[in-house]
Amino acid sequence: MKAVCWMGTGKVEVQTVDDPKILNPGDAILRITRTAICGSDLHLYDGYIPTMESGDILGHEFMGIVEEVGSEVKKLKVGDRVVVPFTIACGNCFSCKKDLWSLCDNSNPNAHVAEAMYGYGGSALFGYSHIYGGYAGGQAQYVRVPFADVGPIKIESGIEDEKVLFLSDIYPTGYQGAENANIQPGDNVAIWGAGPVGLFAAASAYMLGAGNVFVIDRFPERLALARDYCGATVIDYSDGKSIVEALRDLTGGIGPDSCIDAVGMEAHGTDVSAMYDKVEQGLMLETDRPTALRQILQSVRKGGTVSIPGVYGGALNKLNFGAAFGKGITMKMGQTNMHKYLKPLLERVEQGQIDPSFMISHRIGINDVPDMYKIWRDKKDRVTKIVIDPFRETGIEKLHVA
Amino acid sequence: MADMEQVKFPRQGSDYTPLPRSKQDGRVVAHAVQTINATPHEVYQVYSRGELLPTWQEGVISVTATGDNTFHWLIEDPGTRKQMEFDSEVLEAVPGERHVSRIVNGPLESTTNTITFVEHPAGRGTIVAMISDFRVPGGVLANAVAAVVSRSPEQTTIENLRHLKELIESKEIPTVEGQPAGPRGVMGKWKQFLMGENMPTPPGTSDRARPQDMPEEASSISPLLIGGVAVVAGAAAWYGVRAMLDE
Repeated sequence: MKAVCWMGTGKVEVQTVDDPKILNPGDAILRITRTAICGSDLHLYDGYIPTMESGDILGHEFMGIVEEVGSEVKKLKVGDRVVVPFTIACGNCFSCKKDLWSLCDNSNPNAHVAEAMYGYGGSALFGYSHIYGGYAGGQAQYVRVPFADVGPIKIESGIEDEKVLFLSDIYPTGYQGAENANIQPGDNVAIWGAGPVGLFAAASAYMLGAGNVFVIDRFPERLALARDYCGATVIDYSDGKSIVEALRDLTGGIGPDSCIDAVGMEAHGTDVSAMYDKVEQGLMLETDRPTALRQILQSVRKGGTVSIPGVYGGALNKLNFGAAFGKGITMKMGQTNMHKYLKPLLERVEQGQIDPSFMISHRIGINDVPDMYKIWRDKKDRVTKIVIDPFRETGIEKLHVA
Repeated sequence: MADMEQVKFPRQGSDYTPLPRSKQDGRVVAHAVQTINATPHEVYQVYSRGELLPTWQEGVISVTATGDNTFHWLIEDPGTRKQMEFDSEVLEAVPGERHVSRIVNGPLESTTNTITFVEHPAGRGTIVAMISDFRVPGGVLANAVAAVVSRSPEQTTIENLRHLKELIESKEIPTVEGQPAGPRGVMGKWKQFLMGENMPTPPGTSDRARPQDMPEEASSISPLLIGGVAVVAGAAAWYGVRAMLDE
């Protein structure tokens, strides 16, 4: 089959590799119908997540048709159409039983690597480095899905792939970002980043009762989606304006009740702290650039909540923890407990409350993927979300949603 | 909250007593602890069945009962594919509570494994503590070298207990061996080798094939990459680590 492989920092290639096969009795093999490139794939592309190896198959947002099932798979059968959550969970351990699916005890074959770095390891993920299990990902024509009775959600209706594909990661991730923000009716919610997760967080914040949602970014096409689809007030910081001041003025001098970091470890900024992070990360003095998180700790109101769906990998420098302490804030973060959200969010899509495909800007074939990684990283060509048909060779279809 | 109202002070606490962990020449004592979501008797039943050991312990090919309390073992170093045989005896067997066994011959003679099963006080299953007292033929230096290229005895103990938990809780042992990958290149193979990711997980309930895209043998790839160190490392991987599987 053809698969998108990580071949080194900044190097992604389409390779012909063996087809996946059933390895454990709970496995299924999917023929992938649609897959996507995630913003967090850029952390791998840019080499900031450790334990990637050349040849690793990328991709953790995918859906498809069941081709084959292992001997212990009871709920799925050949021909079922499913969306697969990007976190791999066994369904039977203490964490899974507590609905903390992204912290599953039993899915990561390399748990010892995560334990060395983090004390305890979380669940495995598809196509996201060996510290997260080393599982082959879904930017490919076929994929092996472990614990097939636990993760994949069947799509029984005739709804198009593109409307349900993002249940695999970014819609639940944005939703959990909003849920973790402890939103009370009428609250002011500020979201850093108008990428896919930030956009879903903005929509979800309104679903959970927010009064006003503010979205911060520097790309007009992304801000337009936040404003014109999600209903947010948007703040373009590209002119160097103070985000702290903008949010203070917009919230009657109080500050946002909740702040959501949908940016993570490779933040961009215009201030001195952003330049400082660029230098430190370049010199390997810090692994992550927490520019957005610094702004958040300054901006959030006293006693407010900070929710972090953006990915962090390691050590952060010069983070003003005194601001967090001095204002008595609450922080919630982590990978998404995907399995908890699949059914309720599918219902919202099927009922027509939201059409997650609104952000798709590019439809591509598998051979276009390496070039599109670069465009996605550099935010060129008004890209907002890329969807791949892995059985189409090439041909970029631009939708220009904004 | 009724229980909390009944707490009164002063109240007697206790001192922390560490589980054994030590290294002296020729001897490594290691431990691992896991909470497994099953009753003490259920965990004990899986642990004490000799014929199940190859499904969850690393590097074990077969374990055959040779008497009421004795077993014959065949183990293999996944790096060198060298095999080794020895016998073990069960010294204590209290169902649902405690199990002690010892290797009685071969280079690992007198390596002892003690495992205890205690019901979790808040209903989370069974707290399982495994203490392995290894005889290390290569000594501590070989052991230190081996830990770089393979699993140390400490890590072997941790991984074996982890596999037992995985098998009991999720009915399988997670694996990525035998999945497709693009070309690994020299650096990729070197990293796999260094990080121990070429250590095959036990088969669990599967009948999967051998891995397809990893270095075939530690001894054949090592000289290309690490020259003279490979000889020491290869020997250590055999004597110091993989061979020292406890019962």
